[in-house]
Amino acid sequence: MTRPVARSLSPGAGCITWAREPPGRRESLVSAVYSILSGISYGMVLFLLSAGVSIVFGLMNIINLAHGMLFMLAGYAGIEIMKTTGSFWLALVVGILAAGVAGLVIERGFLRTLYAKQLSQILVCFGFIYIITNLHLWFYGPIPKAMPIPEVLTNSVPVGPYNFSYYRIMIIAVGFLLCGFLYWVQERTRVGAIVRAGMEKPEMVNAMGINLMAVNIAAFFVASCLSGLAGVLGTGVIGGISYFTGGNYVFLAIAVCIIGGVGSIQGALAGALIIGVFESLAKTFYPPLALYIMYLLMALVIMFRPSGLLGRK
Amino acid sequence: MSAKRPSGVSSPARRALPTRLGSRVAYFTPAAIILVFLLTLPLFLRTDYVSLFTKIIIFALLAMSLDLVFGYSGLWCFGQAGLFGVAAYTVAILVVKVGITSFWIVAPCAVGVAVITAALFGVLGLRSKEIYFMLITFAFGQLIYVAVYTTSKYTGGSNGLTGISYPDLGFAVHFNERSYYYFTLVAVVIAAILLYKIIKSPFGYSLMGIRDNEIRAKSLGYNTWARRFIAFILSGFFAGVAGVLYVYYRNNIAPSDVGLDYSGLVIMMVIIGGVGTLWGGVVGSAAILFLQYFVSLYTTQRWPLILGCLFIAAVFLAKDGIYPRFTKWWKRVCRYETNGGNGGGQDMRGKPGGDTYQRVATLFRGASRNDAGNGERDEATSEVTSSDG
Repeated sequence: MTRPVARSLSPGAGCITWAREPPGRRESLVSAVYSILSGISYGMVLFLLSAGVSIVFGLMNIINLAHGMLFMLAGYAGIEIMKTTGSFWLALVVGILAAGVAGLVIERGFLRTLYAKQLSQILVCFGFIYIITNLHLWFYGPIPKAMPIPEVLTNSVPVGPYNFSYYRIMIIAVGFLLCGFLYWVQERTRVGAIVRAGMEKPEMVNAMGINLMAVNIAAFFVASCLSGLAGVLGTGVIGGISYFTGGNYVFLAIAVCIIGGVGSIQGALAGALIIGVFESLAKTFYPPLALYIMYLLMALVIMFRPSGLLGRK
Repeated sequence: MSAKRPSGVSSPARRALPTRLGSRVAYFTPAAIILVFLLTLPLFLRTDYVSLFTKIIIFALLAMSLDLVFGYSGLWCFGQAGLFGVAAYTVAILVVKVGITSFWIVAPCAVGVAVITAALFGVLGLRSKEIYFMLITFAFGQLIYVAVYTTSKYTGGSNGLTGISYPDLGFAVHFNERSYYYFTLVAVVIAAILLYKIIKSPFGYSLMGIRDNEIRAKSLGYNTWARRFIAFILSGFFAGVAGVLYVYYRNNIAPSDVGLDYSGLVIMMVIIGGVGTLWGGVVGSAAILFLQYFVSLYTTQRWPLILGCLFIAAVFLAKDGIYPRFTKWWKRVCRYETNGGNGGGQDMRGKPGGDTYQRVATLFRGASRNDAGNGERDEATSEVTSSDG
C-alpha cells in the first residue's frame, strides 16, 4: 500500500503558477484574493469532513479514523450514480446515505463494544482503513476518478485573470450554511444541549432519563453523513478520488482537530479554514512550503495552545 | 488507562526455594529453546528463511522499542516508523549520496539523527497525553513521510535510494545473508538486554508508576515529564538501531518503509504480542511477518486486506496478546509438573501485570521511606497503595 502524496495537488485544481515574470503588486493582490477564495472552498470540504470527527470525538470519545473511508466511499458512490443516471442530486443523496449507513455499520457492528477502549477503537479503524483501501484498489484500480460537475454549476466568476467556478461558490455557501445550522443546533436547541451535556457528564445525562446511546448513534450517523457530503462535493475541489484519498483525508481531519480543537463546530471550522487558506496561499506564493505549512501551523498550535484554538475538551 | 488492578499483598513465605528454582528453570526453558533455535537456524534453513528471520528480529527490536513508550509509559506513539525511517534514510543518504561507507561513522550518525528527531517530537508531543499524543505522533509520522517523499534531491523521492550494500566494518568480514543474520542477531540481543535492563531498573518502574497514576508519581517528587521524555528518546534510540539494521538488510529504502503503514504494522506487532510485555514485541513481530511471508507466496496484492482483518480480529479475540497468554499457559503447565510443595501455587505471578504492579507499589513505598524514614509512615503509605489501586 504505497500512498503517493497526491494531497499536494489537492487545492491546486484552481491554483495558479507563474510561468515567466514575477507578478506586479496588483497582480499578486488579485492572486492572493483568488487563492484565499479557493482556500476557503477547500477549507469547507475539510470542515465538512472534520466536523464529524470532532463531534464524534467530543461526544463519544472515539477518534474515528475510518471517517476518511466514508468520505472516499461516498465519493465513489456519487461517481457511480452520476455515471449511470447522470443526476447530480441523486448522486449527492446516495453518496450521503451510503456514508451514513456505512458509518452506522461500523459503529453498531464494531465500535459499540469498545466505547471506553480508545486504543482498540483506533486499531479497528486502522483495520478498516487497510481493508477499504485495498478493496478500492482491487475493484477500481489506482487511477484517480473525478466527479463530473453538474451543468448549472460549470460557469464561473472572473477574479482578475482567473475564473472562480460556481461550484466552489456553492461549496462555500453549503459549508457556511451547514456550519451555521450545526452551531445553532449545538448551542441553541434541546438536542444540542443534550449533546453538550453528553460531552461533559454522560452519567448525569443518563441519570436524567435521556437515552444517550440513541443520541450517540444519531450523532455518529449525522457525522458520517457529513463526511458523505464532503466526499460527493469534495471530489470536484480536491481533484478526484483514488484509493489513498481516504487515508490522506482522515489525516487532514486530524490536523484540523489538532489546530481547531475537538468537540466544537467552531473549532472544526477555524481549523479547516486555517489549513485551507494557508495551504492555498503557500501554494501560490511559495510552493515548497505548501506541504509543510500544515505541520508548522500544528506545531505552533501545540506549543501555545495544546488543546487547540477553540477546543471544548 | 485507569484499569483497576489489585495490588496483591506480597507473601515471601509462600515462595519456598526449591519451587522458586524450579520456576526459574521453567521460566527460562522456552527462552533458551528460542535462543538456541535462533543461533543455529542459518545452519539448516534456506537463505530466504534466514532472510525472513533477519527481518523478524529487526522488527522485533522496533516493536520492543515501541513497547517502551507504548506499553510501559502509556504513550500511544503512532510515529515509530518515522524514527526508524529517519535512521534508515540517514544511512542511505550517507552511503549513497555522500559516499561515507564506514559503518562506525554511519551508524552512530543515523542513530543520533533518530534520537534528535525523537527529542524534537518529544518536546512538542509530550505537552499532551493519550489520544492527543497519538494524533500528534500520527502527524509527525506523516511529516517524515512527506519530507522524504518531497526532498527527492537527497532521498530519491518515491523511488527511494538503492545500492546500499552490507555494512563496511573496516576489517575483513565477508557479509552474506547468513553472516548478516548473525550480525543482526548480536545487535538485537544486545539492544534487547539493554531494554530489559531499562524496564527492570527503578527508572523503568517509575515509568509504569507514572503510567498508572501520574498524580501520585508527581506527589512523590518525580518529574513525570522528564521521565516520559527520556523514555521517548530511548525508544527513538532503539528504533534508530532497528532502522540502521533494516536499511542494510533491505539494501534499499523507499518512502513506503517509513510511512504510517509501517507504524500501524509495528503497533499491531506490539498489540498481538502483548502490550507492556517486552518480549511480546518479538512474538508479535514473528507472528505477523510469518503470516506476511506465507500470504505473499499466494498473493502480495491482498496482504493489506488480510492485515486489516487481522487488526479487527486481534482487537476482539486476542485481548491481552499472545505472550501473556503463553506465559499463563506455560506457568500452569509447569505448576502441574512441579506441583510438589508448591502449596496451592497462588503467588503473585498468577496475573499478567500483577507482578509489575506490585513492584511499582514497592518502589513508591521505597521512595516514601526515603522521605519519612520511619516504619509507621511506611505502613500508612502501603495502606494507601493497596486501598485505591
